[in-house]
Amino acid sequence: MTDAVLDLHDIQGNIVKAYGRYGFPRGRYVFFAVEDGAAGRAFVSALAPSITTSAPWRVSGSTTSGRAAPVPEVTINIAFTYHGLRELGVPRASLQTFPDEFAMGMRARRDILGDDHKSAPEHWDPIWHAADQVHIMVALTGQDERCLERSYQQLLDHARRARGVRLLVGHRGPGGADNLEYQPAAALYQNGEPTAKEHFGYTDGIGDPFFKGTGAHEANLIGGGKPTGLPPETAAGWAPLETGEFLLGYRDEAHECPEAPSPKLLAHNGTFMAYRKLHQNVASFDSYLEHVGREFPGGKEALAAKFAGRWRNGAPLSKFPTQRDADVFAERWQRAKLAVVQAQSRAEREVAKQRFAELNKQFAAFDYRDDLSGGRCPLGGHIRRANPRSALEFGATLAFEDPGALSNRRRIVRRGLPYGDSRSSRTDDGDHGIIFMALNASLRRQFEFVQQQWMNYGNDFRLANERDALVGNHPPEGGSMVVQTDPKDPRPPFFCNKLPRFVETRGGDYFFIPSLTALRMIGEGSIDPT
Amino acid sequence: MPNENGKAYGLTALCPLIDDSQNDRSYAAIIKDRLRAMPLDEASPFAAVPNLYLCRLFVLDDVFFQGHPATEDHLRSKYLVFVAELHGKLAPFLEGMWRHAAPAIRELWELCIDFKRVQSPRDFARYIERCQVETTFYFNGSNDLPLAEQLKGLYLKQELAKFAREHQGRDAVSLQRAFRAFVERVEPSNLARPTWRAGASSLDVAVTGEANSEASP
Repeated sequence: MTDAVLDLHDIQGNIVKAYGRYGFPRGRYVFFAVEDGAAGRAFVSALAPSITTSAPWRVSGSTTSGRAAPVPEVTINIAFTYHGLRELGVPRASLQTFPDEFAMGMRARRDILGDDHKSAPEHWDPIWHAADQVHIMVALTGQDERCLERSYQQLLDHARRARGVRLLVGHRGPGGADNLEYQPAAALYQNGEPTAKEHFGYTDGIGDPFFKGTGAHEANLIGGGKPTGLPPETAAGWAPLETGEFLLGYRDEAHECPEAPSPKLLAHNGTFMAYRKLHQNVASFDSYLEHVGREFPGGKEALAAKFAGRWRNGAPLSKFPTQRDADVFAERWQRAKLAVVQAQSRAEREVAKQRFAELNKQFAAFDYRDDLSGGRCPLGGHIRRANPRSALEFGATLAFEDPGALSNRRRIVRRGLPYGDSRSSRTDDGDHGIIFMALNASLRRQFEFVQQQWMNYGNDFRLANERDALVGNHPPEGGSMVVQTDPKDPRPPFFCNKLPRFVETRGGDYFFIPSLTALRMIGEGSIDPT
Repeated sequence: MPNENGKAYGLTALCPLIDDSQNDRSYAAIIKDRLRAMPLDEASPFAAVPNLYLCRLFVLDDVFFQGHPATEDHLRSKYLVFVAELHGKLAPFLEGMWRHAAPAIRELWELCIDFKRVQSPRDFARYIERCQVETTFYFNGSNDLPLAEQLKGLYLKQELAKFAREHQGRDAVSLQRAFRAFVERVEPSNLARPTWRAGASSLDVAVTGEANSEASP
């Protein structure tokens, strides 16, 4: 069998590229309502030529061919809600072929997503209050604020010229603002440099699924693919996921093409996205760690690591059970990273890169087969829940046809950036958190399942109705988490009680990210499912 | 061996409904109305039945035609289907069921063919046995111990988890003191009380001090 070759020029860039890794620390998420179909289509057509694709960029020191475009100052991507497609004139016969959950939108799926109490839609940012008003999302990420602003002004020009596309205001922001005209986002900075940290202090964005056809570096296969049952430290331990898990029109892990809208050209090379603004209760998180961390063996850093399955510097508990191991590793990793930048010659750089890749692998090159009891990474640790690897076999060999049978169809591509500032006042109030975007071929089977069954429930992990400590929708009386100990360890397991809700939903919706071809067709009004 | 798995018994009975109507409602529709109105969980009349792990009732209207080339076929009557998983032997269970839930049984079964002759625990057992279909269908969520033991086990497990959560980090002496008080309160070897109320789904509503059920046969 020959693997599909992807036309990366036809696929929007945020699907294959994690922009943050290419130096885009700042973002603006801009939303529009289409008030006139023809105007909306003109707007889409005007934007189409500037949409960022997945084609490789010419990165300094890379071996990519000279024909590749240089890294742009700004990336631009576009996506549509169901109502947006309708307002843009996509024919009814085509609209009816979209999956139900996409047509319903995120607000209507609140019960499945656990968006209750303080996460309920009535607490969302004003822009999300009126049902169905958001039609188009344009995501801008920039190398700095200046080029971002320029690109934003160009976007507004396009909207003004189209006459009939309205910028939607109503994002909350700093200082009690609730009428921002876009959702700002930015990496958190340390010593003037952007970091991969989020507001709770964890290094985020490690581990993205590795799927066929993207041309991604083979090094990302380890830990990013699906488990084969062979040693997880080796490339043989992993196989690339099928493209159809993340892009419509290709074979997926069930050996079929995912459910997709008609006509095929509309769906092909497109995907679905859940956009969520997630507020982080930083003060509650700090205070819980401070308070319970006093009782917890290893202290608050160890407790924070148990919540996530990783130390806050990103080192996975499965490979680095002690804080000292994790710190030593993080320091070596930093030095290796610096060595690549500081290399004087090509040969020196190659050596440095190899060394760095070897260390970098450690973030992902593991599974849970040697930690079935959860003594290192708890059974309910966030990364173990979100991507169980082969853990759902619970140590049985050949329990299923392949070790990831229960997890390979639940993978999601995560994109996003933090928003707001919580450093000066580590409070629950204010406006700070993460813009979380999950990209997948099926919102229902992938994103919603992970959210409902793995974040807000525990049965698959033999944890009854325990929720994810960090992002679970803990009930008002508080949630709980058991931190297991190794069976050989004489200490009892530790019970985290009365977990408050650390993360609350503040808005979002479901979007369709079309291919560049489909985007042009939407702009032309030439979608014809007959 | 059909129907029995260890000491667990899987019962499937199809009781034919009289083909008639009342006030412009068919008997099948009337039974469906009554089934929908039946209280659930600990309020279910069947929660009081000794050694019943789980039961389900529904009306089987007909078999579905699955399309050509399958043969189209139909049932001669509609059935009230009673599916239950229980501990022990069938006849004593059914007699106990009548003794503890006769009003609910009458309400649901009275529109079944021949049921008017059922007047005693023994009659009910015979009636259901006549309607029984041999199966190997079991509820996968239970062992085969007597219900009282399972309920006590569930109660102790939940109480112990709560105790562990509430007492972690205590020094050995005060922990032992608290544990002794705990054991005194939960009475591990007393099956009758305190225990889990049959049908309840959370510890908040589940604890009962009353004797729960008859001892197993």
